[in-house]
Amino acid sequence: MNGRGVHALGWLAGMGVAIGLAFVLGSYHTDVYRKMLIWVAMALGFNFLFGVAGQIAFSHFAFASVGAYGVVILSHQLGLPFGLAFVLAIVICGLTAFIVAIPATRLEGFYLALATLAFSQLVRVTIDEGGALTGGTGGLANYRLPPFFGVDVRGPWYTVCLVLLVAFTLWILTRVDASWFGRACRAVRDNPRAAEAMGVDIARARILVFVMTSTLAGLAGIGYAYVDNVINPAVFSLENSFLLLFMIIIGGSGRHVGAMLGAVVLYLAPFALEPVAGNHYMLVFGVLIVLAILFRPDGLAGLLRITRPGKAA
Amino acid sequence: MEDFLELLVSATASGCVYGLLALAYLVIIRPTSIINFAVGEWAASGAFVGVAVLSTLVWPALEWPWWSALLIVAAFGALVGYGTELLCVRPLVARGAPELSAILVLLGVLVIFREGNTLLFGASPLPSPAPFGFRRMLIGPFPGVSQQFLIIGATFGVFLSAWLFFERTVWGRAFEAVALNRKAAALMGIDLRMVGALAFAAGGAIAAVAGLLVSPLTSAHFLMGLPLATQGFTALVIGGIGRVEGALLGGLILAFVEQFGARWLPVPSGMTLAFPFVLLIGFLLFRPTGLLRAPETRV
Amino acid sequence: MSAPLLQVRGLTRRFGGLVAVSDLDVDLGRGEILALIGPNGAGKTTTFNLIAGVDRPTSGTIVFDGRDISRQPAHARAALGLTRTFQHNMPFAGMSLTDNILVGRHARFTGGLVDVILGARRLREQESAARRKADELIEFTGLGARVDADVSTLSFGEGRLLEVARALVSDPRAILLDEPAAGLTGAEVARLARIIADIAARGIAVLLIDHDMRFVLPLAHRAIVLKFGEKIADGPPRDIVNDPAVIAAYLGNSAGAAHA
Repeated sequence: MNGRGVHALGWLAGMGVAIGLAFVLGSYHTDVYRKMLIWVAMALGFNFLFGVAGQIAFSHFAFASVGAYGVVILSHQLGLPFGLAFVLAIVICGLTAFIVAIPATRLEGFYLALATLAFSQLVRVTIDEGGALTGGTGGLANYRLPPFFGVDVRGPWYTVCLVLLVAFTLWILTRVDASWFGRACRAVRDNPRAAEAMGVDIARARILVFVMTSTLAGLAGIGYAYVDNVINPAVFSLENSFLLLFMIIIGGSGRHVGAMLGAVVLYLAPFALEPVAGNHYMLVFGVLIVLAILFRPDGLAGLLRITRPGKAA
Repeated sequence: MEDFLELLVSATASGCVYGLLALAYLVIIRPTSIINFAVGEWAASGAFVGVAVLSTLVWPALEWPWWSALLIVAAFGALVGYGTELLCVRPLVARGAPELSAILVLLGVLVIFREGNTLLFGASPLPSPAPFGFRRMLIGPFPGVSQQFLIIGATFGVFLSAWLFFERTVWGRAFEAVALNRKAAALMGIDLRMVGALAFAAGGAIAAVAGLLVSPLTSAHFLMGLPLATQGFTALVIGGIGRVEGALLGGLILAFVEQFGARWLPVPSGMTLAFPFVLLIGFLLFRPTGLLRAPETRV
Repeated sequence: MSAPLLQVRGLTRRFGGLVAVSDLDVDLGRGEILALIGPNGAGKTTTFNLIAGVDRPTSGTIVFDGRDISRQPAHARAALGLTRTFQHNMPFAGMSLTDNILVGRHARFTGGLVDVILGARRLREQESAARRKADELIEFTGLGARVDADVSTLSFGEGRLLEVARALVSDPRAILLDEPAAGLTGAEVARLARIIADIAARGIAVLLIDHDMRFVLPLAHRAIVLKFGEKIADGPPRDIVNDPAVIAAYLGNSAGAAHA
């Protein structure tokens, strides 16, 4: 019961700080902060897919783009009410993920990665060639978030929305992780044969995880669409999917705190490395990846492990 | 007709490059089961090293003959592959880490090489000299650029040696034994670490040579790696990882679909970029063993 | 008398021209310990895989609790109450010992992901019931001292006990043990034998395959002897050891030593 109190207090404190930051940062730092929140939300979902369920997929940003383009096209290009466009965009994400997952999750290991990589490139080509509807390679701009029940959600309040997005993602994933389903996912990751013998329907578990995390990616994509009020294909490129993978490996795969740490550190690192490494910070990341896998397979979160015994990585 | 034959030569040349990349994957996957996505960047590095040796663009006064560059690039690729295996892959294999760890480590290596290439050679494309210049020529009825014919000839040379190696030498047999059953091969006295190191060295050399061969047509560019990596892998999936010839067959099919499809299919030119990905997905899902089966699975 | 819990009829499995299991009948009753024995290559493992659902029979039926499960996938059989252990321990290496056991309870949870996310009360009750059961089995198997250990550091014998606990946590009606004594020390074998007897005493049917006769025969209520995929004897262990066909096929020429 004490543990539960501490837990609730931790959530409250975290939310307090995250929301407080929205109101004290200047406009440049607000932009950095918002994009960092999007990365954290993306990393949480991807960690569940890769770190917890053991599926290595490069489609996470493709689904984010489906969400972002979906909501912008439906609400601003086609003129649907925002609420409806929002729900439809999420439904489209879920359905697309389901259609991709049914065949793709049968693929083992890195073959799933390559199939989803190909899928991402198909999404990219479709957006590039989408003409006026998607804005082609130039993307879409000149739209904005409509007032929500007469209230304009902008400035720090939009940042608060993004904090809530991260909190919502974390809350869902924590719940699922602690349940029979989370255990089934880890079991499938560690030993599919044994998991099946224990009554886990492997195909079903894999599809569910893929659809759930891809839909969360779509939600993060919707959040991104109104950060700059500009979306273009380059934002959702394959490079970002690689970066996401690196965030999880360096942060510590399979743990939410690892995903968040990895996202924050790797997103902010280029700002710190700029004076030293210029725009070659990716070189530093590459070296870090190699070192992390060789010497610290549990990542940055492994350093915190002493404080949480009994919680398996 | 002239147009068709020209396209035929050009598609064959591209297919050969894809086939070489697929072969670079294959020689590593067969004995180790590790998909080395860094081969594309190694090809780019090979192209850059070739340019450095052959021209004054990077370092002055190193205008050596092209054939020496071929040897240097092959040796460079072998060294890169060997070093990568030694430093990054072997420790993981030794501690029994899952194959996926090795694959992920190689993604890190991919990034290191890509960024290293940019750091050393800059971000703008470097023209790469061709040994026979860029003359247009006719071989029989086939019109093409001399470099295309060189690519085709060199590729057949590489594949012939690879085939001879696997089919006719003791070391090639050892590779196959490891591919079939690691434990049994170890019991037979085959040094698994040596086979792993050689596989990576061979993969590195093949990739680097492929990069050097294609660079006169595309220039050496830091963005050339990832497309080569995906196209090579697609070629591998089409042909199947079981047999050496499959890599070449897969590369040719991919290039023919790409180039002939772009010319004759009624789709917008941008959409033709999607062909390889459609092929990749299609083969992964419906024919995951590729077109050619491994010899041991033929009943 | 009611029908046996597990009824195998005419079970046959061919691999190309080779008949691994031929027209085999097996009955297994509630609370019974049945040993499936025979020299290497007799078809024990094939039979085990067919009943566990890892492999599909060429012909024949497997009826479990009145339901034909011959074509059911392995996970569906586990969900019906037919669970198994592996000969080579297969722990979930990245999970705690308790979570390893709890995975075995998978099929007993009802409700979908939405219930999980909303924290449905029924699920919380199922979760605490599962944890009570897991704790009880940790006690039962004597793994209590290792409950905080990384499962990859368990000894082979402890790993085997984990396998047993994981297969029991769902309250199955039958449990299949694949060479449970293989690789264990003498003391561990004795402990395992007591545990298996206790399992049967709870009314759970036990089917075990093994070729360690000293382990199997005192423990089993009944034994079936296979040779080249065919049943050559079926009866109480006392009768089996005196059966001339069995002695000729198995005890006589190998006495437990494997022929390659």
